[in-house]
Amino acid sequence: MMDEREDRFDEMLRDAARDYNAPPATPKAEMWERIQAVRRSGGQGDSVLPFRPTVRLSARPTVRLAMAIAAILLLGVAIGRFTVPDSTSNSATPAVGPIAGVAPETRERPNVATQVATSNHLSQVETFLTEFGTSPTTPDFSDQAKDLLGTTRMLLDSKRVVDARTRTLLEDLELILAQIATLNPKDRREDLSFIADGLAQNQLRTRLRNAIPAGPAIRL
Amino acid sequence: MEQRDLVTRALAGDPGAERELYDAHVDRVYRLAYRMVGDSELAADYTQDTFIRTFERLATFRGESALSTWITAIAISVVYNGQRKVRRLRTREVELEHAEPVAATIRRADPDLKARLNQAIGELPEGYRTVFLMHDVEGFTHEQIGSALGIQEGTSKAQLSRARAKLRTELAAFAGDVAS
Repeated sequence: MMDEREDRFDEMLRDAARDYNAPPATPKAEMWERIQAVRRSGGQGDSVLPFRPTVRLSARPTVRLAMAIAAILLLGVAIGRFTVPDSTSNSATPAVGPIAGVAPETRERPNVATQVATSNHLSQVETFLTEFGTSPTTPDFSDQAKDLLGTTRMLLDSKRVVDARTRTLLEDLELILAQIATLNPKDRREDLSFIADGLAQNQLRTRLRNAIPAGPAIRL
Repeated sequence: MEQRDLVTRALAGDPGAERELYDAHVDRVYRLAYRMVGDSELAADYTQDTFIRTFERLATFRGESALSTWITAIAISVVYNGQRKVRRLRTREVELEHAEPVAATIRRADPDLKARLNQAIGELPEGYRTVFLMHDVEGFTHEQIGSALGIQEGTSKAQLSRARAKLRTELAAFAGDVAS
């Protein structure tokens, strides 16, 4: 009975959804002319996305190790910052409890566990992407990417992660990790090119590096 | 076979073949892009970029998937990346001007349900929305969606199921109309 109702409701949704962003007639001729113009100019036209050269990291194993250590150190710093009380915000208020007649501060305290988990996860992803950039053909990257993808989606589903910048970063990471997780083992060249484009266009590594040491700046 | 011939001719520099390839796939790409972004100029930009990339990368097409699926994969990548830029720009604009929401929604005459549905679809997470639009609106199969998005067929089904569940929740107020 319930299933039948859900089916009918889904059917109604599908019917109604056909009007969602209903496409107009395709402007074939205009687009073709512009495609030709861009191609004639060697890709220097007014395309939405500039085609960037493929980015490949060439870090040696020692550099990778150093980056992993740096990520762990940064995580330690981040945990330290999260767990030590914020002394600057208490300078004008008493340390314990609200004063009678003074409205208590209503700002929500960030959830330390979620912050630490997010920071830890971002560190792991940064290390992973660095390793992936150096030898993208290693077969077990797919499994690692799936693990990290699961955590990324868990954090995205968490209502505690509310900071828009962090969520955008996680969404971008989700896409890249999904692409790595499903790399075609037979022919990776094209997939790798897409992934490299995604990494470069979204400046993911830079944003990751900025997010991790930022510590309390990641508002959750 | 016809598809392979077309690709071979296009790679050999036959402009007629490129145009044939474009004509055969442009509607599908434009429709999907428009469904995803709800803006004719953006949809046209993304469609153009998709075909520029398609022609640039045609030599890497090995025929393991249908050409249409391969082109759709390029289109989705172009739309995702383009939309991220658009979102960033619009977020800045919203901060300055308190402008309209990012997701483009068309309010149509048939009022409540469609308006609410449009809003709810626009608010779905990107992955869910893409699968929902591709499957329930544009009629792609889960196999095609899986190939185009680089995900397993099962993942596509799961995402569609979650998308529908979210929409059901958002539109629970209308469920009574269905039951009656």
